[in-house]
Amino acid sequence: MIDAVQLVQNLVNGIGLGLIYGLVGIGFCVIYNASGIVNFAQGVFVMLGGMICATLLARFGLPIWLAAILTVPIVALIGVVMEVAVVRPMWTRGASIFAIILATLASQMLLEQVTLLTLGDQPRTFNSFTPGGPLMVGGVAVPYQLFWVLGCGALMVGGLWLFFTRTRMGRALRACSQNAEAASLLGIPVRRMMMLSFALSAALGAIAGILITPSQITAYNIGTPFGVNGFIAAIIGGFGSAGGAVAGGLLLGVLQALAIAFLGASFKNVAALSVLLVVLLVFPQGVFAGLKTLRASRR
Amino acid sequence: MKSSLTMTLPDTTSTRSGLPWRQILLGVLAVAIVVYSFTANGYVVTVIGFAAIYALFCTGLNFFMGFTGQASFGQNAFAALGGYGSAILTADYSVEPAVALVLTMGFSGLVALIVGYPTLRLRGHYLAMATFALGLITYEISINWTDLTQGYMGYSGIPPLGIGPYYADSPKAQLAVIFVLLALGVIAAARLKNSRFGRACRAIAGSELAAGALGIPVARYKLISFVIAAVYASAAGSLFAHFVGFISPEVFGTAMVVQSFTMLYLGGIGTIAGPLIGAVVVSMLPEVMRGLKDFQTVGYLLLLLAILIYAPRGLHGLLERILPDREG
Repeated sequence: MIDAVQLVQNLVNGIGLGLIYGLVGIGFCVIYNASGIVNFAQGVFVMLGGMICATLLARFGLPIWLAAILTVPIVALIGVVMEVAVVRPMWTRGASIFAIILATLASQMLLEQVTLLTLGDQPRTFNSFTPGGPLMVGGVAVPYQLFWVLGCGALMVGGLWLFFTRTRMGRALRACSQNAEAASLLGIPVRRMMMLSFALSAALGAIAGILITPSQITAYNIGTPFGVNGFIAAIIGGFGSAGGAVAGGLLLGVLQALAIAFLGASFKNVAALSVLLVVLLVFPQGVFAGLKTLRASRR
Repeated sequence: MKSSLTMTLPDTTSTRSGLPWRQILLGVLAVAIVVYSFTANGYVVTVIGFAAIYALFCTGLNFFMGFTGQASFGQNAFAALGGYGSAILTADYSVEPAVALVLTMGFSGLVALIVGYPTLRLRGHYLAMATFALGLITYEISINWTDLTQGYMGYSGIPPLGIGPYYADSPKAQLAVIFVLLALGVIAAARLKNSRFGRACRAIAGSELAAGALGIPVARYKLISFVIAAVYASAAGSLFAHFVGFISPEVFGTAMVVQSFTMLYLGGIGTIAGPLIGAVVVSMLPEVMRGLKDFQTVGYLLLLLAILIYAPRGLHGLLERILPDREG
């Protein structure tokens, strides 16, 4: 049987990972809200964030803050290219949802292959943002990186909230999600908003990737688990709000930590996927639709 | 989803004048491939064998996705059930391969029934993600339940196909068995397509609401269609295990999902010949693109994206435009 200190330690690790899932989950919501598309390639942005940042650090010897600042726009640009080259042509031709999902999945594999060919198959990592640590709290080691993850996570949720409620652009994005046709009649450039949503969610993924790499490792193929777990976080949170996705991510991270503690590390993904199935099946139309009808009835 | 309905309309409304040139052309091509494969060397036999196994897999998937208009991103789960089921039953318990094939098909159908009942209530992205999760769970289990599956090491020593004293001990004999099973599978799918049940499925693809209003039990028919696809996938998995004699988790990974979808979309989703055309062409692609070396997968994925964007009805759609059913 596992002792209490070990359990708390697992939970601490789970919270850090869960917040990352939450950030990926927000990325799903941003694109979904702007275009009605679920981008199955969301996890690849996490991988790209970690890999590009690690490469900038190792090959050019940049300081971490500069590498991070350079990485985020690069990944955001990759997101925009994906939207312009793959998603938009399909969207304008009226392709079925499943075909678009498959196309995003294929884009993910394409980006993975390109990463494999250019940066190699070796896993990479870099040092925590602050040297030293971990902080010992009664036998539980809290790495300094966790504070970075928590701080940046809170900053981003707050920033996104401000963006979506207080800025013209953020409000325009929300208008697109409610009714794209009406939004375009009001003069909102719907297509540019879709591009913006891809850039934004790619940037979110990249930040998540940079934050998590010091405590995990990154390699060309780590995208899928992050993508799937981010999707689960978004679903638990209701596919609407940034806060909801983060809450969903934290819940998932803790559940995974418990699964690792009681079932062993190899079954943590099985546990997460089972959570997904249970959530989906309890809300057969998806939690998002459930909330939407609730909101509609309130109006 | 609308397109699959309009695509199938000509079958019922056509007043054919002249010979069905498209069917003749496809038939001649099929015969040519079969004849060629029996005169060719070992490597070609392997490639064509894989193509035929994938064709069987895609024919089942096409039933669920093309005709009924649903999506399963986790069909690899059932192929894994078939493959591992056959491997374990024949290698460890010395069950007859033919018996194991039928047993695992039944088992996969049962699992599909139990899993599909709650899952198929989902729509759109949720259905895609839920089925994707089924595939991923199966993959994780096949890696981690090492007592049963031997994990990454894979399962070897699987005997070739056979029944009683008759064993398909050479690759060409195996290929013959696979061709026969594929032909049976395709004929069954073609007959089902135009049966009362098949027409109801295509009505569901057109509009679930309208189909329901016409008295079609939508949920039950979707489930039956899912079970059919799972049984096909299981058979394909079993055949793979016997044909190669070795399976590992990677065989039934996410790559299988993407590959089978490429075949479906490249060949032409929602048609009988489409999955076959797709399976043959996609299986030959690595040979054609050998010159690309490391960039083979990149080229392959770019091709898939180009098809999805520019030719959503695939090669069979193209063929239909050149050789239409109706004159004029």
